[in-house]
Amino acid sequence: MTNRFNLSRNRLLTLVFVMMSLLATPAVGNELLIRITEGADSAIPISVVPFSESGQMPAEEKVSRIIQNNLQMSGEFNPLPPEQMLSLPSEGSEVFFRDWRLLGQRYVLVGQVRNEGGTLQAQYELYDVSQEKRLVGATASAPASASRSLAHHISDRVYEAVTGVPGAFSTRLAYVTLERRADGPLYRLQVSDVDGKRARIRLESAEPILSPAWSPDGKKLAYVSFETGKPAIYVHELASGERQRVADFSGLNSAPAWSEDGGSLLMTLSKDGNAEIYRMNLANGDLKRLTNHWSIDTEPTYDHTGRGFFFTSDRSGGPQIYHKASDGAEPRRITFGSRYNARPRTDSTGDYVYYVHQREGAFNIARTNLKTGNETVLTRTESDESPSLSPNGRMLIYATESGQGSVLTVISAEGGAAYSLPASRGEVRDPAWSPIVR
Amino acid sequence: MIGHERDIEDKSQAPWKSPVVLSVFLHGLIVVVTLAGWSWTGPDNQPPPPSISARLVTQAEPEPSPVVDVVDEPDREQERQQAQEEERRRQQEAERRRQEEERAEEARRIQQQKENERQKQAEAERERKQERLKEQQAAKQKAEAEAKERARQQAEEEQRRQEAARKAEEEKRRAEEERRRQEAERKAREEEQARLEAERKRKERERQLRESQLEALADEASQQRQAEERRRKEAAAAKARQAQMLTESQKYRALIRDRLMSVWYPPASATSAMSTTLQITLLPTGELASATILSGSGNTAFDNSALSAARAVGRYPVPDDQQVFDQYFRRFPIEFNPENAQ
Repeated sequence: MTNRFNLSRNRLLTLVFVMMSLLATPAVGNELLIRITEGADSAIPISVVPFSESGQMPAEEKVSRIIQNNLQMSGEFNPLPPEQMLSLPSEGSEVFFRDWRLLGQRYVLVGQVRNEGGTLQAQYELYDVSQEKRLVGATASAPASASRSLAHHISDRVYEAVTGVPGAFSTRLAYVTLERRADGPLYRLQVSDVDGKRARIRLESAEPILSPAWSPDGKKLAYVSFETGKPAIYVHELASGERQRVADFSGLNSAPAWSEDGGSLLMTLSKDGNAEIYRMNLANGDLKRLTNHWSIDTEPTYDHTGRGFFFTSDRSGGPQIYHKASDGAEPRRITFGSRYNARPRTDSTGDYVYYVHQREGAFNIARTNLKTGNETVLTRTESDESPSLSPNGRMLIYATESGQGSVLTVISAEGGAAYSLPASRGEVRDPAWSPIVR
Repeated sequence: MIGHERDIEDKSQAPWKSPVVLSVFLHGLIVVVTLAGWSWTGPDNQPPPPSISARLVTQAEPEPSPVVDVVDEPDREQERQQAQEEERRRQQEAERRRQEEERAEEARRIQQQKENERQKQAEAERERKQERLKEQQAAKQKAEAEAKERARQQAEEEQRRQEAARKAEEEKRRAEEERRRQEAERKAREEEQARLEAERKRKERERQLRESQLEALADEASQQRQAEERRRKEAAAAKARQAQMLTESQKYRALIRDRLMSVWYPPASATSAMSTTLQITLLPTGELASATILSGSGNTAFDNSALSAARAVGRYPVPDDQQVFDQYFRRFPIEFNPENAQ
């Protein structure tokens, strides 16, 4: 009996053991997680199907074409040439996802544009081909003369729907061109679309124009003009063309930078004998000196908090980037990578500071990760200067030498090559990217 | 089997052990002992041996009395008185006295001799008498001893007789006892036999039971061993299969990963902190049955990019092995997390 009991107990134990070992066997599917840590190392395939048109269309480029170019220029999309499309749907019901999938497309943008009494009405839909899902479906309208604005607007919507980041296609660029004419140089302050189109001259001068800076509302530009024979800081309202000379002190008046609320400007003045950074209240002209050092302190720019600012100082010998977290804080040196780092600009996240960086005789654009201190050189060209970040932080424009003249080049903020905006004549410098104005 | 064994046991019993023979023998023995006892008790009527003859011998012999001579004593006294009175005559008579003394001396010597002889004689006589006395005493003692001996013998005889009787009685009793004992023994033996038989039967039953139990146990153990072996083999096979399946699954996991990486476009807004995990359900053909978000990143564009990538794979590379597919690829999670994003 005891034997029998022992036996059955042994049996039970064996059974339990076997069951446990069965339970312990590795792995059912759920535990085998597939982890994707890298995406395709190429731009997103997107098909901008030519919009169907009805009514009188402007002689300009077609809206869908502008959108296609915009997306292409961003460097993040790889639009399919319309010639390769199997069909040209203009609305969702005509989209056969299988066709687009066959073409390896991820997104399809379809739409129609109608001219209704001088107003362009656009109806557009963005489809995710693999999910067979409509991401965007909207209408937009613009005067027939502003078809580019309409196209940029749609581009922004598409860009944001796919990337999660607001598009910057509707923003503008300010820059200064120099035309060396027989009777002397001609400086022009110009404003254009980000694709370089619709450029308009805002100011012409035989004397140098420098450092244009956009007000936060995108309506005004501050810049330095030597038009009086000596540098002075002006605030220029674009819509009206009204100008105001805000800083005309003895010595240096340079490098204006707008505060977040647009109520004040940071600027470099040498009225007290040495180049120092001041803040000027634009309402009453009050000045507050923010730096005090025997060396040159210049090129201020607010950080993402709007309280502190970056600036260039040669207090350690060569020019280096410093950061002052608040009015009273001690400046902290940011750059150490080389003997020349200047002209800082920061992005809206506060992750990076971008600047001109000289190494081995070449000037490049570099950025430093403010958290890690890691420095990355973003450009391969020489004589790069005046970096300016797109308001969505995705792109960076800078001036550089190209062949006979100079060009503005747009790259992705990570350093991927994007596109260049060739100056029509002469040199182009000091690009400034406008904020996004909703 | 049981009957057979009993047979063998019966035959193996010695013939004298047969109860009938034993009974006859016992009865015979009892008769003989009784008879012998009876004949020995007979001599009780015999006259006792004459024990008074010895006493007669002792009376016939006179008690010897010792001889005493008192005559010589007064003579010597007289002579000394005569010498004293006849002092003056001593001279004259010295010779004579001397002679006389010599004679007296002679006489005394003779007397002494006679006395000595007589004493010797008396001594001899006494010795003789004592000898005789001794002899008489010896005879008497002998007679007494003989009588005693006889009495002793008689007593012994009696004792022996009584002893014999007692013995016979004892024997009888013993025989009876023996009989009873044997009877009891027989009974006991029989009982013992019966008991043994019962015991044997019980043991046999137990043995059979145990045997059958053991057999069952052995069967069970063997079955268990076999089952164990089978399980072990199955487990080993399962393990090998598992390993193979794992290898197979890993191959296809890598293929799926590659495919997904080629179709995933992490959006511009992606950061390394973003992670979206999808639950993928496939058909055995590798076609996507469903893709749902298990845990989102909080960024719509990022989640969409993951979903879009998952759906962009026209046909997932899946193993032909149905079991591997069922275990690993019918339903599995995919995590999208751009490690190298800013």
